[in-house]
Amino acid sequence: MNLFPYGKAALSMFGLAVLSAGWISLHPAPQKKATLTYWTFSKDHYDAYQKLIPDFEAQHPGVHVDLEIVNNNALAARLQAAFLSDLDVPDMTELEIGTAGTMFRGPVKDIGFIDLKPRLEQSGLYDRYVQSRFSPYTSRGGIYGLPQDVHPVQLVYNKEIFAKYGIDPDKIQTWDDFIAAGKKVTIPGKQYMIELSDSTTGSGGLETIMLQRGGSYFDPAGKCIIDSDVMVKSMEFYVPLVAGPNKIGGTTGDFYGATWSKSVEDGYVASMICPDWRTLFVQRGPTKMAGKMGIMPLPAAVPGGIRTSTWGGTMLGITKRCKDPDIAWQFAQFLYTDKARLAKNFQQTNILPPLKEAWSNPAFSAPNPYYGGAPLGAIYAKYAPSVPAQYTAPTIDTAKAKLGEALIDCVKYYNDSGDKGFDDFVRAKLKEKADDVRAFQARNPY
Amino acid sequence: MSTTLTKPSRPTEPASPGSRPTRAKSSSWFTAQHKLAPYVFVSPFVIMFSIFGIYPIIKSIMLAFYATNGPKSQVYVGFSNFNFMFHHHDFQIAVRNTIIYTLCSVFLQLPCALGLAILLNQKWLKGHSFLRLAFYSPNLMGTVYVGILFQQLFSIHYGLVNRVLASIIPGFSTDFKWLGDPANVMPALVLTSLWLYVGYNMVYFLAGLQAVDKELYEAAEVDGANPWQRFWAVTAPSIKPIATFVLVTSTIGSFQFFDLPYIMLGNGGGPNNAGLTIVMYLYQQGFITGDLGYASAVGWTLAIGVLAISLLQMKLTGSMKGND
Amino acid sequence: MSVQTVNTPPTASPIGRRASESMGKLIASLILIVAGVIALTPIVWLLAKTVQNKDDILSCLYFAPISHWTTENYQHLFVKTDFGHVLLNSIFVTDVTVITQLFFASLAGFGLAKYEFKGKKLVMGVMLATMMLPGQVTMAPLYDMLYHMHMVDRFQGLIIPSAVTVFGIFLFRQSILQVPDELLQAARIDGCSEFRIYWDIVMPISRPMIGAFCLMAFMGSWNNFLWPQILMHHDYYFTLPIALNQFNGMYSTAEGSMGILLAGTMLSVLPVMVLFVFLQKEFVAGLTAGAVKG
Repeated sequence: MNLFPYGKAALSMFGLAVLSAGWISLHPAPQKKATLTYWTFSKDHYDAYQKLIPDFEAQHPGVHVDLEIVNNNALAARLQAAFLSDLDVPDMTELEIGTAGTMFRGPVKDIGFIDLKPRLEQSGLYDRYVQSRFSPYTSRGGIYGLPQDVHPVQLVYNKEIFAKYGIDPDKIQTWDDFIAAGKKVTIPGKQYMIELSDSTTGSGGLETIMLQRGGSYFDPAGKCIIDSDVMVKSMEFYVPLVAGPNKIGGTTGDFYGATWSKSVEDGYVASMICPDWRTLFVQRGPTKMAGKMGIMPLPAAVPGGIRTSTWGGTMLGITKRCKDPDIAWQFAQFLYTDKARLAKNFQQTNILPPLKEAWSNPAFSAPNPYYGGAPLGAIYAKYAPSVPAQYTAPTIDTAKAKLGEALIDCVKYYNDSGDKGFDDFVRAKLKEKADDVRAFQARNPY
Repeated sequence: MSTTLTKPSRPTEPASPGSRPTRAKSSSWFTAQHKLAPYVFVSPFVIMFSIFGIYPIIKSIMLAFYATNGPKSQVYVGFSNFNFMFHHHDFQIAVRNTIIYTLCSVFLQLPCALGLAILLNQKWLKGHSFLRLAFYSPNLMGTVYVGILFQQLFSIHYGLVNRVLASIIPGFSTDFKWLGDPANVMPALVLTSLWLYVGYNMVYFLAGLQAVDKELYEAAEVDGANPWQRFWAVTAPSIKPIATFVLVTSTIGSFQFFDLPYIMLGNGGGPNNAGLTIVMYLYQQGFITGDLGYASAVGWTLAIGVLAISLLQMKLTGSMKGND
Repeated sequence: MSVQTVNTPPTASPIGRRASESMGKLIASLILIVAGVIALTPIVWLLAKTVQNKDDILSCLYFAPISHWTTENYQHLFVKTDFGHVLLNSIFVTDVTVITQLFFASLAGFGLAKYEFKGKKLVMGVMLATMMLPGQVTMAPLYDMLYHMHMVDRFQGLIIPSAVTVFGIFLFRQSILQVPDELLQAARIDGCSEFRIYWDIVMPISRPMIGAFCLMAFMGSWNNFLWPQILMHHDYYFTLPIALNQFNGMYSTAEGSMGILLAGTMLSVLPVMVLFVFLQKEFVAGLTAGAVKG
């Protein structure tokens, strides 16, 4: 009787199957030994927290924290899948501001995070934070995430280019001033005044601009307001910056990485919208620009208007699967309320914490040589309190996608027909997209 | 141990029942296991198939009328899934994209594949094996890896495609946006899948061509037919079964287009959903948002559409070519 | 086919004919060469890029000078990422899947080819009908089912549902039909049990088809993306396609990661190519067997 009749190919596969099965059984999936599993999507956070964890474990003997880094694209999907299937749900997780809303889809009882509002009020943290940062993580009265940041936005600019064209950043107060300066600097195809995208709304583009002007995807009650008057005006302001004959905004398509770094060094863009976290990317990427970059506040939308906006955000949530929410809460406080640690975090990541009293720590006013000695922390802290609020709903990802589509269509229209009929077009387009979002919201039976 | 096609040597003349006294097994066991054998052989498969093949199909018909929150909770919603689907802008875009892609696929890939097969079939050609391997190797790579590779090739500024085109075509800028521009997404996808699948279809056509009776060609040549006439009179009818097979499978495969656009467009539909396909839409709705019922509804719509089109194709090619 | 009276060939004189023939051959060869180059260029590019360091990778068009060639991408791949683990996962899942499929499909194919039994027509009819349905129809309920069976995000969830392949059954049935019945009869008379007939006679004869099937099944499982993406959540269980896709999204613009990504892609593609080189002939025969017969 043949031992194995299927031939050499099948035999080798059989052999490999046995060998790999053996290996895998010798290396089983790591069991959850940790007291707390913590998911993050940012390598910077991961590196920074790894350094801090030993301190926490020393203070709380027997507690073991397991940090896991998950791809940002996948984190929301994985978290959602984990919530829905009750498998491998972490105890604590970070979540990006743009996707947090999707976790609020089902009935309140199905929300995978615990409501932190009681703890926030009890500890007094609620008042000590920049208030507007709670709104993206709020649903039906409950607060499900601890904001980790404020992310005020400034303009980082190339000092040499500005000097070459005689542009004094102190003289630029409003966007009109900025646009006038931009016309001098912009050489289409070679040099643009500011890095702005004509196809994506995030990445410091339309979203940041619209927030500065009071625009928003949703109102505090969660209703979609993409087609509101403010939004129409924001779109009408933004599109001519990136399309048409007078555009001053350009981009290579990437906002970090090797191609982007090179474009900054080559002077392809003279200024960039920079939240605090991005200043680190700028330091690390276009390294040849060290000492040659300056920071200026965002031009105001109207004279006397706010000189900042916001881009990005991360929340920390404690899931309902966590067996010991108290220790999780303590860890959260350890990371985000201890002033010394927040200062250390700032030194590593340039990120301003939402805890206002922490900003007085000298680390924040330390001069940053890359930006010509500017006190990075103090500058961003100055504008932090006026950062606009962002409201969310379970359909936030749909809303973002729809606004992106609207932007592309409006850009195309403007490139083809200019100002003629532009207002009507923008209004109609935004209404169309808002209706799409509303139809989606109506579908939600929960 | 030999692996060839030769049969094991064994006398094939039937022996009379009584002439071999060394039959060890009793005859009743023998006939019993002979009768039971087919059931025993086929039943493991049938059981597994019923559980993992048939049951899900039936369940999905049911699920299509529910809205779910993942596998946890379900709410009966009747036809509202289908109602929403057909009015949903994104679904319409997905259908449009998928149809455009399928048409491009069929009308570009198949003629190219046939053409290459004909060229490869020429008697005077040397390096036949090597060329066949060369054309087929893209298909060996697998859609995911081709997606990753071509995403790099189509990237702005540093990608190979732009750099080569810029050196050949005067005035072509290396900043030409392929995957970032809604208008160029579909061409990029069509080109990539052309590269990927031409070899695969070519192999089928080649097999069909090689099966054509040489005598028919000789007779045609004797009759004075030129190559073009020979093609239509001899080749085309002979490869009709294979051509139909390739046509139907290409169409069905094109409708299920997911991996390439998903990977190349960064796990999404791309700018303005220019690369959104029906299956991608299904995936996003069902497994990211979590509504398994809606996903089933989309799945069935796709299935019915594909079935209808395949049947139509088979009928058309059957009746058209039947008028020889 | 009608035979007409012999006419003089309508083409030009023999010399002109030969010239246009060589012209035709030249054009044909050119087309083939260009097509071949287009087909192979991306693959060769991939190979070339995996041995370039991070500066050359962006600046060089195609090949870097040989002195610059480096294995650092492959080294980083295994050291900085858990590629080795994921590779092993893929090897495990794919090989087990192929063997399982092989066993079930060949056994059932044999049963359907060489036996008559009650319900045979029904079974074949149902299987044929389901072949027409695209797989996406069953994804949602299958996920739901596996969730309740606790097989989500586990290897079993990948392997067990894919043990049934209707395509495989028909392939084997087709090929086993070719086996002469006399062979089986003779074996029965010699006292062989039915299973031994399958094991000792039919299978060894069918080795070419088995080879083809192994390659096809291997390719299908090794490159499978959508279903593992849906099913697997924890990166311990990831297979190569999912892990590479995630790496692509996560790190694609970071320093030095393009090299790692391409190296990983190269290694993922290699096994199938190697297998193909060994199983070329059987593969082509098996691929077209299903088609030519209709």
